[in-house]
Amino acid sequence: MRKNSLIKTIFVLVVVFWALYALYPTYQLYTMTPEAKIKLEDEGKMVSLVDKSIRLGLDLQGGMYLILEVDLPALLEHLADGKDQRFEELMTRVRSDFEMDINDRPVHTDDFLKLLEYRFSEAGVSLKEYWPDEGDSDKMILDKLKDEAKDAMDRSMEILTNRIDQFGVSEPSIQKVGAHRILIQLPGISDPDQAETLIGKTAQLQLRLLEKTEVMNRILKRIDETMARERGSFARPAEMISAEADKDTTSQQSETIERKDKVIGIGDLFGDAEIKDMEEAEMDEEESTASDSTLVVDERMFQSNPFLALLGEYREKGHEVSAPVENIKAVNRILERDDIKKIIPPDVEFVWASETYKRADRTYRDLFLLMKEAKLTGEYLIDAKEGVGQSAESAGRPIVSFRLNRQGARIIGSVSKKNINRRLAIVLDNRVISAPSIRSKLGANNQITGIGSMDEARMIAIVLKAGALPAPVRIEQKKTVGPSLGQDSIHSGQMAALIGICIVVLFMILYYRMAGLVADFALIMNLLVLLAVLVQFRFVLTLPGVAGVVLTIGMAVDANVLVFERIREELRTGKTVRASIDAGYSRAFTTILDANITTLLTALVLYQFGTGPVRGFAVTLSIGILVSMFTALFVTRLIFGHITARKILTKLSI
Amino acid sequence: MQFFKTPNLDFVSKRRIAYFISGGLILASLITLIIQGPNYGIDFKGGTEITIRFLVDEGEISINEIRDVFEGTPLEGNEIKSFGSSVDYLIYIEQEKGVDNTEATQLVYQILTEKLPDKTFEKLGEDVIGPRIGSELRRATIIASILALFLILVYIGWRFELIFSFGAIIALFHDVMITLGIFTIMGYELSLKEIAAFLTIIGYSLNDTIVVYDRIRENLKVLRSETLETIINRSINQCLSRTIITSLTTFVVVLVLFLFGGQVIKGFAFAMLIGVVVGTYSSVFVASPAVLEWQSRHGGKGRLKMAKKKK
Repeated sequence: MRKNSLIKTIFVLVVVFWALYALYPTYQLYTMTPEAKIKLEDEGKMVSLVDKSIRLGLDLQGGMYLILEVDLPALLEHLADGKDQRFEELMTRVRSDFEMDINDRPVHTDDFLKLLEYRFSEAGVSLKEYWPDEGDSDKMILDKLKDEAKDAMDRSMEILTNRIDQFGVSEPSIQKVGAHRILIQLPGISDPDQAETLIGKTAQLQLRLLEKTEVMNRILKRIDETMARERGSFARPAEMISAEADKDTTSQQSETIERKDKVIGIGDLFGDAEIKDMEEAEMDEEESTASDSTLVVDERMFQSNPFLALLGEYREKGHEVSAPVENIKAVNRILERDDIKKIIPPDVEFVWASETYKRADRTYRDLFLLMKEAKLTGEYLIDAKEGVGQSAESAGRPIVSFRLNRQGARIIGSVSKKNINRRLAIVLDNRVISAPSIRSKLGANNQITGIGSMDEARMIAIVLKAGALPAPVRIEQKKTVGPSLGQDSIHSGQMAALIGICIVVLFMILYYRMAGLVADFALIMNLLVLLAVLVQFRFVLTLPGVAGVVLTIGMAVDANVLVFERIREELRTGKTVRASIDAGYSRAFTTILDANITTLLTALVLYQFGTGPVRGFAVTLSIGILVSMFTALFVTRLIFGHITARKILTKLSI
Repeated sequence: MQFFKTPNLDFVSKRRIAYFISGGLILASLITLIIQGPNYGIDFKGGTEITIRFLVDEGEISINEIRDVFEGTPLEGNEIKSFGSSVDYLIYIEQEKGVDNTEATQLVYQILTEKLPDKTFEKLGEDVIGPRIGSELRRATIIASILALFLILVYIGWRFELIFSFGAIIALFHDVMITLGIFTIMGYELSLKEIAAFLTIIGYSLNDTIVVYDRIRENLKVLRSETLETIINRSINQCLSRTIITSLTTFVVVLVLFLFGGQVIKGFAFAMLIGVVVGTYSSVFVASPAVLEWQSRHGGKGRLKMAKKKK
């Protein structure tokens, strides 16, 4: 008996310590001063701390939740040939069917194609009349159209992932929901409008000429000189980290710099972590353990050539200029400065490559100087396919072939004739996919060579086709929560929880005395374990989730109330203290089990059907109930066991 | 401390009064729900909802001032509500206003900026729900509610007896109807969060009901010679102290949530608040007497099976 209770006690203590251990990072994060936060961000340790802390839902930390739908009707109309009035009429009818509530539709289905099939066969029209290229029978055509729809969905996912990646949100989530919907969650973004524009716009494929290498080198050198001059006497990195943020207004800049030593330092460049590139963030963490600074530069080169040092010394054919991914943000910061912008001619701009590559343990991204004018855009593209090269130089290697329409072929013909031996960049969403040299005059059918792998070729083909995306995406659902509303919610949630706890704890002590104290201990432990489970299993805490926590406070004491009332009853019948406690616990147990299981069933259903916030509620409520079974029965029983073991009580404070 | 030493109140004989009160409340709720219908929130009706906050330093702004701003624009006649203070407002635009969902939000900001040049506002949040999502959410909610009810009833039927399931259904129907009625009359909107609250009320009310049922089950085995009426009465009395205390603690925390939990979960907390009170009442005055009624009408002279079971 003694030994048994010792093991149980150790178990309870282990649980308590585990909970405290799991919650410590959260405590650290939320009690930290803003200065300490900035320091931690500079050291690149913020990401891991946030990762170990409790995850807040969009409704608490602010952010954006979007459900996009690929516009299937538009896609099918785009694919159709020989559209006449009858076609338009039929399509209008199918569209309006689709807009209706499912129970009002002629066929109770979510499948747009089934509605299409129904209306067309009702009118006695064969699908072949309008989609002759897709197959011979209606069934074949429908299957083919279904594939096209799936393809459109994949392409949309591809573009959106690409764009969001560029936008630089810390933990974006992009998921397919059902057949035609994409769910995007962007937690903590500061500018939802910008994000929406980015997601909503149509993908832009562009063919743009590269500026000549000599010109680019000259410009890079001038930027470097400007930066070097500005830095003046060399400042040690430690000082630079503490340097104030640069508020460089071009006019008075040079003086301020000389006096106050305000330079773009390592700390400055990385201090601003509001929008953080995922890739960079990951690299950050790795790098911070290796060295003090988060930028990858050659220390000596950095002194004489601050800008070129960021780009690294690495050069090889096809990769004229590149930068380790850690430095991209710093390079962008410099390129966006007003005085640097003046150095870059107005008709060109720097554009990064879409792909990164690894050389000698470092990941690099190429930088190109492109003409701003696009020679050709995606509207002229008809098709793109990946394949294997047949010509002498590309035999057996992956290629991507694309076809332009007649007008596009004419444009590219004249452009290429005039620019033989120059490089032409294929740009999608403002990232360079590839930049082959023009060898001869180009026509309607073109190939992109020099692709690393077949997978990459497939990706490029997808992306190229994506540029000519046939189906627009529509925003079906959008929820944005501004940071201040989130803050308000966190604040009021905390307050409600705190007041709730205080009242319940006081009441229990008043009403049950010593036993109440025991129940309060169980209650506090319940809350700690509940939160620790949320952290450990990466559940998201939403505002209704907080309500679930508060509700747990009220309901968790229920188990103890049931037990205590039972013990009181048993005491009244004249049983000894120990016998009453035993009877109280065992009699109340089934009641507590039955009562809690019904609540648990509701919570499970809520979890299954609910979205975001409601799910958060279901999660905290279920965990709260389960944990309360442990704390309110097992833990309190153990404590009573210890109390009664010391000496034989004749009276119980309950 | 103890509220009741050994209560011995005769609840069962007063059940007719309770039926009268409950019946009246349910009728009032039904009438409200039929005539007015529940106020569906954006999740179910679709549309666009924008929450904005005007700068406090620039003074309060009234609903009418904001309403006037939209006069003569395509958004005229849209719904404007206060969001908890005199600087926070909620603007709702219906689906069919002839303005695209995403354009609507931009238009609101544009109009506000143009017509209130000396006021600064902050965008607190936006909610856009397309028509199809709205109807899908409605469907999912109905399925979820039915499924939750079904699971609970199966569980009770399994753990107790079918008659108890019947009593529980009556009590649940009672709780949800009355809460929904009061909720609607008070002008709160029904959205997904509130549905979650209603399902929780169901769970909570059942929790209370089951505690009493459990005691009835236990007493049926011990007090074999007593009538069902006496057993039910005694069971309710034995549980009374617990019922009151648990309801009190739950009520207090929900009240705290309602008062301090913030504007976003006000409706949720309100539904819970009413639900706790009604649920507690029903477990004493509706759920158990319902078992008695059923038994006296359909059960003949026989006792509940459970009384004979060993278990």
